[in-house]
Amino acid sequence: MRARVRGRIRTGGRATALALTGAVTLILAAFSPWATFAGFPGKMSLGGFAGGARLFALALGVAAMVIVFDVRGRRQTGLSVGLGSLAVVGVNVVAIAGEGGALGGVAWGAWLALAGAGAIAAGAFLLPTDRPPGEEWRQLPAPIEASAMATGLLAVLGLVVWGLRIEESSRFISFLVFVGFASVSLHHLGLFDWMSSLFTRRVRLAMVLTAAVAIAFPFTQEGNSYWIRVFASIGVFAVAAIGLNVVVGLAGLLDLGYVAFFGVGAYVGALFADATLTTVHVHLPFLLVILLGGTIAAVFGLVIGAPTLRLRGDYLAIVTLGFGEIFRITANNWDGLTGGPNGISGVPDLAIGSVNLGEAHTVFGVSLPGFANYYFVELLLLAAAILVFTRLDDSRIGRAWVAIREDELAAAASGVDTVRLKLMAFAIGAFLAGAAGTVNAHVTSQVSPDSYTFLESILLVAAVVLGGMGTVRGALLGSAALFIIPEKLRAFQDKRLLLFGIALILMMRLRPEGMAPSRRRQRELREEAPEGVAGATGAPPGRPVAP
Amino acid sequence: MTASKRFRRWGSVVLLPLLLAAGCGDDEEETGGTGEEESAKVVKIGVIAPLSGDLTAIGTGIKNSVDLAIKQANENNAVPGWRIELAAEDDAAKPDVGAQAAAKLASDRAVVGVVGTYNSSVALQVAPVLQKANVVQVSPANTNDTLTRGEDFKTAPKRPFSNYFRTATLDSLQGGFAADYAWNDLKVARVVIIHDKKAYGQGLSESFGRQFQKNGGAVLTTETINTGDKDFNAVLSKIRSAGAQLIFYGGEYPEASLLSRQAKNTGIKVPLMGGDGIVDPTYIKTAGAEANGDYGTSIGAPPESLESAKTFIADYKAAGYKDGHSAYGALAYDAANAIIRTLPTALGSAEAVDESVRKRIVEAVGKVSFDGTSGKVAFDEFGDAVARTLTMYKVESGSFKAVKTGEFEG
Amino acid sequence: MRQFVQQLVNGTVLGATYGLIALGYTMVYGIIQLINFAHGEIFMVGAFGGLTVYRYWLPASMAGNPWIALPAVMIVAIAVAVGVAVAVERLAYRPLRNAPRLAPLITAIGVSIFLQEAVRLFYPGGKRQQPFPQLISSGTFEVAGVTIAWISVFVVVTAVSLMIALQLFVKRTRMGKAMRATSQDPESARLMGINIDRVIVVTFVIGAALAAVAGVMQGMRFAQIDFRIGFLAGLKAFTAAVLGGIGNIGGAVLGGFVLGIVEVMATQYVPHGSSWKDVWAFVVLIVVLVARPGGLLGERVATRA
Repeated sequence: MRARVRGRIRTGGRATALALTGAVTLILAAFSPWATFAGFPGKMSLGGFAGGARLFALALGVAAMVIVFDVRGRRQTGLSVGLGSLAVVGVNVVAIAGEGGALGGVAWGAWLALAGAGAIAAGAFLLPTDRPPGEEWRQLPAPIEASAMATGLLAVLGLVVWGLRIEESSRFISFLVFVGFASVSLHHLGLFDWMSSLFTRRVRLAMVLTAAVAIAFPFTQEGNSYWIRVFASIGVFAVAAIGLNVVVGLAGLLDLGYVAFFGVGAYVGALFADATLTTVHVHLPFLLVILLGGTIAAVFGLVIGAPTLRLRGDYLAIVTLGFGEIFRITANNWDGLTGGPNGISGVPDLAIGSVNLGEAHTVFGVSLPGFANYYFVELLLLAAAILVFTRLDDSRIGRAWVAIREDELAAAASGVDTVRLKLMAFAIGAFLAGAAGTVNAHVTSQVSPDSYTFLESILLVAAVVLGGMGTVRGALLGSAALFIIPEKLRAFQDKRLLLFGIALILMMRLRPEGMAPSRRRQRELREEAPEGVAGATGAPPGRPVAP
Repeated sequence: MTASKRFRRWGSVVLLPLLLAAGCGDDEEETGGTGEEESAKVVKIGVIAPLSGDLTAIGTGIKNSVDLAIKQANENNAVPGWRIELAAEDDAAKPDVGAQAAAKLASDRAVVGVVGTYNSSVALQVAPVLQKANVVQVSPANTNDTLTRGEDFKTAPKRPFSNYFRTATLDSLQGGFAADYAWNDLKVARVVIIHDKKAYGQGLSESFGRQFQKNGGAVLTTETINTGDKDFNAVLSKIRSAGAQLIFYGGEYPEASLLSRQAKNTGIKVPLMGGDGIVDPTYIKTAGAEANGDYGTSIGAPPESLESAKTFIADYKAAGYKDGHSAYGALAYDAANAIIRTLPTALGSAEAVDESVRKRIVEAVGKVSFDGTSGKVAFDEFGDAVARTLTMYKVESGSFKAVKTGEFEG
Repeated sequence: MRQFVQQLVNGTVLGATYGLIALGYTMVYGIIQLINFAHGEIFMVGAFGGLTVYRYWLPASMAGNPWIALPAVMIVAIAVAVGVAVAVERLAYRPLRNAPRLAPLITAIGVSIFLQEAVRLFYPGGKRQQPFPQLISSGTFEVAGVTIAWISVFVVVTAVSLMIALQLFVKRTRMGKAMRATSQDPESARLMGINIDRVIVVTFVIGAALAAVAGVMQGMRFAQIDFRIGFLAGLKAFTAAVLGGIGNIGGAVLGGFVLGIVEVMATQYVPHGSSWKDVWAFVVLIVVLVARPGGLLGERVATRA
């Protein structure tokens, strides 16, 4: 066996040597000064320790050393590590040069690191192509697998907490690049496949562990409410995104006015919670209000859906868009009920029993800001939404939806009651959005028409598509990305939206099926993909341009 | 087990802890290598304003003016032993984004006060978040009455946010001042009111209409428009026959400039009057010659008449900011200085900013009194500026000329 | 009655602009079934292109002469809009032809945001409204008590002539025939030797050129432009295209006029109409679609899903 390994290495001997040299160089460079001036985050002007973004370079260098010895898949893995280090070093060179006045601010360590990173990438590139790892991981004893799962989730939590703490934008970008390329490397090593096989095999345990990690998050924030607040908002957004995913992802109906249902829920929540400015002076118990908000939204869904669901896909899109606008304008103008442009403010904090959710609490000696309570409420709602979604997805109804999505005529011919099922998708989606809206009225303590614009509907669709259609993971990832990235891009102030636009374009170009597509859909895409212009778009051939 | 498999797993096993180790690596470990210069203790003054989207120009003006105040304070060593930094956050003119920004600033322990917001609707969300953290907020631009006097401001004023102050003047005063001017000075008896259905526009229009009718004038009709629309010919054709002597517009300059031009082209040859939202150079630039004869109120005395205002404008120019200071620059500068002035005593010998420091600042801001760029800066029991000077401007040959300065008593 | 005719005139002018932009939506949709959300931004970019010539390139002596300035502004506006549209098609849409259905839609939204922000951030003074030169008299004339602006006449005449020209192009020329063939069945069209890529590019070029003309006309009419004019105009034009029957050229024109007139009449005759006019516009849309699912001039709805 040793002979075999040596044989393999010899085939790419020089390339391996080059990559190894690069790795060693990068590691050494991580301990050298990168900036000629003081004041750059991470004390980059000092040598002897790997501070700031140099830590990423160090980690990537060590990883490269390990990977080069890996026999299979080392070309791809090495390449991704090499490119990752190039990107990390590059970002920092640009940032240092930007702050220190052109290239004079960049010290020799950074150039050394750049050379090292380049050598790793070049070495990996020159390695002989080898078969990517594809074999199944063998089943291991349960305790080992369980602890592997726990470690994986903890690693994710750790990365999230760490990433959120990074203040400087240059370092945050280094971090993102690092995590991105490290994930690609791990993916090439087969770790993700193994993890996902574990999580599908041990669903119960996976759910318990995920819930535990989610609950643990507020305890990592040291009483600071900012990110908990952001995450609570993500929770609300994610519930709505899951609802939209029922409509768009499962049933294949494009809804461009979905935020209206969310708004209906929010107004119901504010009106029946005895807010300062409410026009309906009734205070109902919160659980009832959630159900009420969801139900009223669902009724709206049925009302709008009943006459229009026989329209073809893109016509439905514009009708829903119109409905969204009608909702916003109505909310803005019906002063007697909605408070007009001022909306309804002063929605009180939720109180469950004698516990006021707006107050800070101390649990296990850790002080949790008031917002953590909303975060937990969100988690519960999210869990409920996930349950509804997965149950539907696996049911007869879910399969009927897929049939409708793929070919409505064929589905109808096979006895699927298409109109009824489409209405159902619409109503369920609207219900989830309405429920999320009622909670959001309390989270933001106010509702106003400005929050329910066309752009918000678009963002929801973007969340679903970016994350991956038809999956819970997709909706979660998409909403998280759409919330966290703009928050983190605050440093770029007015270039935020510009970067967001670019990110949308690039994401669709590089991974049009989304970050976490459903396997079923991925398969469909691979099988179809004919060369036709409109072929795989799933749309029927258009009608003539001329009348 | 094949070699490849073993290596692959080994690789993962080594890589994963590495990632984790990197994740847990705390900044403290790296402080071993010191040697960089030791700097003064830092406090931050936050800004929450629209720095993206349609209102960027105004938000940037506010941010730069606060930055100017901070720079000057640092140069003069106004707070010995401390360096003041600017922490500007974007609210995109949206309440929920503003609340998020407020939470971020409140959680930064170095933040001692916030200047902002521009929109009253955003302030309604920002103020409670900052209040929970005892962070003082001074707005240069909010004019909505409810912010300092509660929902029943007409009958039973009650201050809702103890941490909230503003250097801007209330809608009710501005609208009333404009109504009096139209009735007494312009001798106008019949007006048409148009507003944009937003909190500011509607509030201003209502207070104008109230005072104008109290004076004995007639409001012939009230119409609304949508912000973002360009073509107002339909609504103008509709009110043309009403025979108004003045159009009062509650809203901001983008729509106002279009309205003014289109009104005159439709044949309604009467002046348009508005609030501080239309007193902006862009209004004249885009409305063109048709803007001549239009009116707009603004907060404070005209800058030309005040030495301090002239100094501010000159300093702002000298600082070389890319964008102009906009209509709220001077008030933002005053707001920032109101906070800065309280710092030397409030910080005292404190090692770092804590709850008690923040509380002391809130209290001290309520008691400041100094001559700012646009007049005296001091606050009443509601947190409103005591200076209630307003100025009526008239567009004459391409610029705003002050025609009357005074106060509205109500 | 005079009031009614006055509002009809107002609505016609408004509708002409909607119709001109709607053509771009409808043509692109007809060929590749893409709701090109970035089309409104092409309209905006065109207007800014026109402004650039007038403000920075034309010597003062020529800028004062509308017979030179107007064609110059129009040509550069068209060139800029076409350039941007072709680049967007090549770089953003073409790689996604075989992607899932929603991917190009999200890309279009990304492009739309990008173009708006790029103009706002990088055009000199782009954060605020920019005054636009009035190359056509801003004066008015009266016919039986109805006030009409000369620029409005120019807008309607230009829009209608362009629409007729487009109709002729699609009906009479080889390229037009190729476009119709591609929209009916791209696969067969390709087999018949039609270069589909070229057809698509030509579609984008025509749509962008029309949008640019609309942009310049809007700039002259309101004497100002800003980076967000495209969004609202695009939304309305898209509605007009669907109202008339998306994929149908005559339908886009008709939809534009109907939408413009509905908005104006709602403002005049419905109580509180000025704030609810967009609601009425969408109500008309929904009613039309429910009664005639293919839009006003659309064909009977396809039996295929």
